[in-house]
Amino acid sequence: METFHNIGSSSDWIVMILYFLLVMLFGSYFGKYNRSTKDFFFGGRRFAWWLIAFSIVATGVGSHSFVKYSAKGFEHGFSSTMTYLNDWFFMPFFLFGWLPLIVYSKIRSIPEYFEKRFSPSARFLATILLLFYMVGYISIGFLTLGKAAMPMLPESFSLFGMQIHITLMGVIIFIAIITGIYITFGGQTAVIFTDLMQGFILLFAGLLLFFLGLDYIGGWGVLWNILPTEWKLPLANFNKPPDFNFVGIFWQDGIAGSIGFLFMNMGLVMRFMATKSVDEGRKAATFNVLFMLPISAVVVGNAGWIGKAISLISPDLISPNASPDQIFVVVANIVSHPGVFGFIMAALTAALMSTVDTLINATAAIYINDIHRPIKHLLKKDNLSVRATEKKELAAARYSSVIITILGVVGVLAFKGFPTVYEAHGYFHSTLTPPLVVAIFLGIFWKKFTPAAVITTFIVGVALMLLGAYYPGILIRPFAQGIQMNPEHPYSYIRAFYNLIVCAVPGVLVVYTTMKQKAIVESLKKKSNVNEIMIGMTIVSVTVFVLIVFNIFHLAFSFVLIAILFVTVPLLVNYYVAYDPVSQTEGLTVWSIARAKEMFKGRKVNEEEGERIIVHWKVVDGDDEYIQFSKNDMERMKAKVDDLVYICDKRKYLGGLKSVHQIYGEPHDEDGIVYIKNEHLLNGVFVEGRPLTAEKEM
Amino acid sequence: MSEFLEIWLPFIYLYGVGGALFLIGMILVRKSGSLNMKLKRHRYWFRVLVFGYFYFFIFHFLFTIAGLYW
Repeated sequence: METFHNIGSSSDWIVMILYFLLVMLFGSYFGKYNRSTKDFFFGGRRFAWWLIAFSIVATGVGSHSFVKYSAKGFEHGFSSTMTYLNDWFFMPFFLFGWLPLIVYSKIRSIPEYFEKRFSPSARFLATILLLFYMVGYISIGFLTLGKAAMPMLPESFSLFGMQIHITLMGVIIFIAIITGIYITFGGQTAVIFTDLMQGFILLFAGLLLFFLGLDYIGGWGVLWNILPTEWKLPLANFNKPPDFNFVGIFWQDGIAGSIGFLFMNMGLVMRFMATKSVDEGRKAATFNVLFMLPISAVVVGNAGWIGKAISLISPDLISPNASPDQIFVVVANIVSHPGVFGFIMAALTAALMSTVDTLINATAAIYINDIHRPIKHLLKKDNLSVRATEKKELAAARYSSVIITILGVVGVLAFKGFPTVYEAHGYFHSTLTPPLVVAIFLGIFWKKFTPAAVITTFIVGVALMLLGAYYPGILIRPFAQGIQMNPEHPYSYIRAFYNLIVCAVPGVLVVYTTMKQKAIVESLKKKSNVNEIMIGMTIVSVTVFVLIVFNIFHLAFSFVLIAILFVTVPLLVNYYVAYDPVSQTEGLTVWSIARAKEMFKGRKVNEEEGERIIVHWKVVDGDDEYIQFSKNDMERMKAKVDDLVYICDKRKYLGGLKSVHQIYGEPHDEDGIVYIKNEHLLNGVFVEGRPLTAEKEM
Repeated sequence: MSEFLEIWLPFIYLYGVGGALFLIGMILVRKSGSLNMKLKRHRYWFRVLVFGYFYFFIFHFLFTIAGLYW
């Protein structure tokens, strides 16, 4: 396979360095808006939909997309980006299921949902699986960054007389240091604003490359006519070849990936939670899927399509066996001038960094919420004041960001062996998302889903997934729908289908046998040696799981072990976990969202639709959360005392940066004026003399 | 596999399996009351959701026709 080095000129490097400095300065500026971990992670739930929608572009498009879709575009044509157009099927579930639930239940991380909905043990297992997923995602991001940078670098350079060879891991470590510095001092508000800037620049750079490419080859007509028919179809061949087929990628990306991206990618979920209301989150998500993703499909894939056309017109410029993962950089260099190439590469690498830094920020949030706080709570070290705790947690969040960055770099080793980033990412999604995807999905939409069922999904599901990985030819083949097995990387995509089924079926079976399990547990409780029995059962379960992990026995016996796990795990959960199916589903499933809203507000919801008004502000003494409007202004907003209100700097282009959520206090008589407290002023960062808009939230 | 199926099976599969999931989602959010058709705002969102499904359906259909015959 032909590989490239030393692409680009000194002017390109100058442009790239300037761009990165600009991004870092931009991020540092917005770091001042972090006054707490709530701001650091969630941006203070204040932003307008359009700001979030554009900031998502850099996150969604960033991590792997330019490199991996250009690679597949070069190999297979327009269908390379088919996965950008298959997210709509889950929008009802997301817009009216997960999004309102996660906002109204005030949870700060996905594992926290598992504790509220199921049990602390479910949270513990979800945290482990989610950390694997997030760190794996960061690793894929770093791998892609390294692969994107390599063609621009020389094979080696000399420093103080020493000849130093540039390696992929060396480049990744260097990039990780820059990413770590920026995210550590920025936080979520910084991420949102740098992503916003980069989202625009990224779209511009991708489209610029497309038009420069079309101009280079002679226009759209030349591109369209030179490509064979199957290259012009929007969907890939149903089940061949093994490294790129429709049905495998549908289950890997369209199902597992879409649910994973919308439901368990904390980076993205946190972005939606940063919108000022659930409805604004819905607008951001809808706009993103309907408009930004189709545009992004062209932005990320076009270098591959142009590259293929160039390879057909001038095989001496791009050989048909050029390294697919390098095609984006090679095409960008061929079709653009020095400086412009630097700009495109800066946009690409900065976007990749956006995804990585968003994920690092999100993983740090999981660490703080699901490891740091529970441990502190367990050690009873929470007798500090709220402010002191906040300060300590903010510091811990920054340190954990650094450690997560290091783990992300180490994780690259697991994915380096795949021929392209596309396959590495496909394998990653197929393998790490199904248990959580099934657990979250059934937890949200099925009230009957119990702690025993979710933990069985995690443990028995993962055990069956491992067996599938050990025996793909036997276990995954029946689900392969005609896809041939590649012995080196068996069923990279369609294994997602198998994995989803083997995670869902045990959980569902456990739900339907709940009464039987409870009866067995009750009869066990009557025995005098029940504790010894349960401890013995725990030891057996752990041993069996370890035996399956290391694949010590033949497949048939492994299934006997799975059957043992399937019996012991639900019994153990039923014995040890206290679960109230009423209180632990209230406000936590799609069937009680109205109740979730009431719990969020703390009292009855006022759904009357009022006006948005413009007011000036005045600081008054006090340190409570109430702000006061005149009686007339409250009437216009259809608001009552104790309703929730959102006030924001009137300048729309700020997108809600200067805003706060508060509670309506007793009205006064001064129309057009809102009385706020000093703390509200500090949180909202309002500017003297600038009017505010005010609207009732609920 | 016939040439027709070779070309159109991914499209049928995408909007058949994907469509079934979409339909289940719509039924679930409506039956649960999360998408409350009594609220004007939610009726708007219902229309947006249905529009989105056909938006992508038509897009893929036309793109496939263009790829084959244009």
